[in-house]
Amino acid sequence: MDRFKGSIIRPWRLLFQFLGVAFLLGQSFGLPPFGTSPMLRTLFLPNASCRYVDTAPTSCFYYQFQDGMTSGASTYYVDVIVVLLIIVLMVLVLGRIWCSWLCPFGLVQEGLAYLRENLNIRPYRLKWAHRELLRPVKYVILFLTVLLSLPIGLSGLGLLGCQSTLALPFCQVCPAKGFFTVSEQLLGLEPWGTALPLLAIVSLLLFLVSSFFVKMAFCRICPMGAFMALFSRFSLMWLEKDVDKCTKCRICLRVCPVDHDRVYEDMESVDVAGSDCTLCGRCVEMCPEEGCLSLSFGPKRLASSKKPGRLGFLGMFHRKEGK
Amino acid sequence: MSRSDQEGPPRYLKDREEYFSDEQRKRTTVESRKMEKRVRENLRAQKDRPAVMKYFDDIHTYGGIRVKELKEFRKTGGKVVGTLCVMVPFELINAAGARGVRVSSGYYEPVHPANELLGDAGLCPMVKSTIGAKMVHSDPLAEEIDLLVCPATCDGKLKLAEIYEDWAPVMMMNIPRVKTGDTTSRLWMGEIKFLKQKLEELTGRKIKRKALLNEIGKWNDAQAAWGRLLEYRKSKTPPISGQDMMLIAQASQKDEITRWTKKVKDLEKELKVMVRKGLHAGETGAARIMLAGSPMIYPNFKIPSLVEESGGLIVSDELCSGHRIMSDPVMLDERSMSEMLMALAERYFFPCTCPCFSPNDDRIRRMKESIHLFGVEGVVFHTLRGCHLNNLEATKIEMKLREAEIPMIKLESEYDDGDVEQVRTRIEAFVEMIKTRRAFSVKKEGSS
Repeated sequence: MDRFKGSIIRPWRLLFQFLGVAFLLGQSFGLPPFGTSPMLRTLFLPNASCRYVDTAPTSCFYYQFQDGMTSGASTYYVDVIVVLLIIVLMVLVLGRIWCSWLCPFGLVQEGLAYLRENLNIRPYRLKWAHRELLRPVKYVILFLTVLLSLPIGLSGLGLLGCQSTLALPFCQVCPAKGFFTVSEQLLGLEPWGTALPLLAIVSLLLFLVSSFFVKMAFCRICPMGAFMALFSRFSLMWLEKDVDKCTKCRICLRVCPVDHDRVYEDMESVDVAGSDCTLCGRCVEMCPEEGCLSLSFGPKRLASSKKPGRLGFLGMFHRKEGK
Repeated sequence: MSRSDQEGPPRYLKDREEYFSDEQRKRTTVESRKMEKRVRENLRAQKDRPAVMKYFDDIHTYGGIRVKELKEFRKTGGKVVGTLCVMVPFELINAAGARGVRVSSGYYEPVHPANELLGDAGLCPMVKSTIGAKMVHSDPLAEEIDLLVCPATCDGKLKLAEIYEDWAPVMMMNIPRVKTGDTTSRLWMGEIKFLKQKLEELTGRKIKRKALLNEIGKWNDAQAAWGRLLEYRKSKTPPISGQDMMLIAQASQKDEITRWTKKVKDLEKELKVMVRKGLHAGETGAARIMLAGSPMIYPNFKIPSLVEESGGLIVSDELCSGHRIMSDPVMLDERSMSEMLMALAERYFFPCTCPCFSPNDDRIRRMKESIHLFGVEGVVFHTLRGCHLNNLEATKIEMKLREAEIPMIKLESEYDDGDVEQVRTRIEAFVEMIKTRRAFSVKKEGSS
């Protein structure tokens, strides 16, 4: 008899996350078949590649989004609108599933949390008031990015000259830039002594430290997530709650990596995913009430909460302890 | 029996220890023993009762095996912690190497000494009985405790704990009675940490992470076993009576939990056989009743026995002396000490639907869900005299149940056999009404 309910979703998610990282690295370092495939070269997935690797054939959509805005109004249609439409379409079908199932940032943060857990250090839990303060920050960052990029591209303002200095505002503070520029030098892909982006390295360190102590710290301020959050409430992937079965035990809130309190608080809606849920399914696998929470695609329930003691077939991946 | 050497300041009654005559002490003890025996025999007289149930009877027996075991345990230096509430985490008590027992009293006789000395006739009889039993030392189980942990849920318990301090060391816990999420969670977490510290002081050993994890596992196992028993109550002809289920649930708060789990599993096997044979508890076509309201601590099984003798069968309850003891597992996200404590704290606090909380809409929601799951046809809402919290909630719940077309009867009771026949008449009428209703709804379905 298993004493702790096992993970029915987490192993699957881990698998997808590793595939996501493999895809990112493959894209970035131009490994066949990823980097060289002409079809994949034009694919701007949320962050399946980083422009700051020299061999990268493509970039993340946020780079493309900023770059498109900066490089001039005449190319908006191709460079910005189409890229964004692809992402919006993806979100409408799959919700923010990218965030917790494929995003490499997510895997790194979960790895750090796993490390912390095994060092027996408790997570730092944000207070309710701080969570509320943090909630709009990601939208602010998204807005600032647009605010800084858009005027440069508008030729009438005469700011085209700033293209080289003020372009790509978010990339300058993106931890990924810090990571890839440093690791390229360490791996010898770049000559030693090339100028390092200090700002990005500082934010990389901040990223590592904060997500070691706070679960999914970066996700709370990620502007890519913010963009997806704008549309995720209309998506086909959703988090279903059977309110009648809820015992308000607060497990869903305690285990939620992004402290999405709507799953716990909301006693009226059927869809409790809202815009902040990244659909990681942690609450679904931890909820002890049969069929109370479900990860659903359209009308179909992909995974539902079960009574503890009854495991899905993936229970074998679960760490057994306590005996 | 004087405990004047007990540490701590005398508060109310310590210097009046000799207030009661030996004759009264003796009478209370004899009457308690008699009452327990009567109730036990009454339970044994139920038809088609599983044989394993004898074990649970023995656990509850006045001065029975459990008391002897605890005595032995204390002789070897072990500590026994008494609790008065379902909100005290037994996992933590066990992880400290101590044993937990719930010492709320269901004996009628000790109410009288408490009445005499406390002078509050309107006070809840469970509180009076618990303190009365301690005053005249009439409950052998309550005599074995080294520390009483009492969450201050209601006014009665609050003062009970205070008075109890004259006889045994007491640790009170502050219950944040307004449930508002984050702040409340932090307050209660503080209380749990304080309890941990107190337990460590009592037993003189640190609560280890592994030990706590192990205990949580044992209790989750017990919950899973209990959950499987519940499935039998959902059937059209449940093989086990509601009284027995309450007895089992309450035994978990006295017994060693691993042994309890094993016995529950044995019972499950026996029930399986009984179902195959077509045996069931209660009479054929019994009205399916849900018990709600104030706790009914063994041997105060007056209401449940009356229900089941009058043609009803208790298929579900929402009592803190019944299903609620075992209704919520601890789900661990991470396994560091403070995270485990938080999981524990939240399990014992947030899903609890004690009427001492506000808002308490979860109670009616959970009741409705149980009514749906167990096919309940009527609710017997029991309040102890002086239990304002349950009394006030009863009205609200009755209104909500009326919307759902579930009849409810509210019974107010004392710790006293005087009202048995009167209550019986009311319950019989209620059961009769449910059966008539049933016939009517069948007719209605047939004609439409």
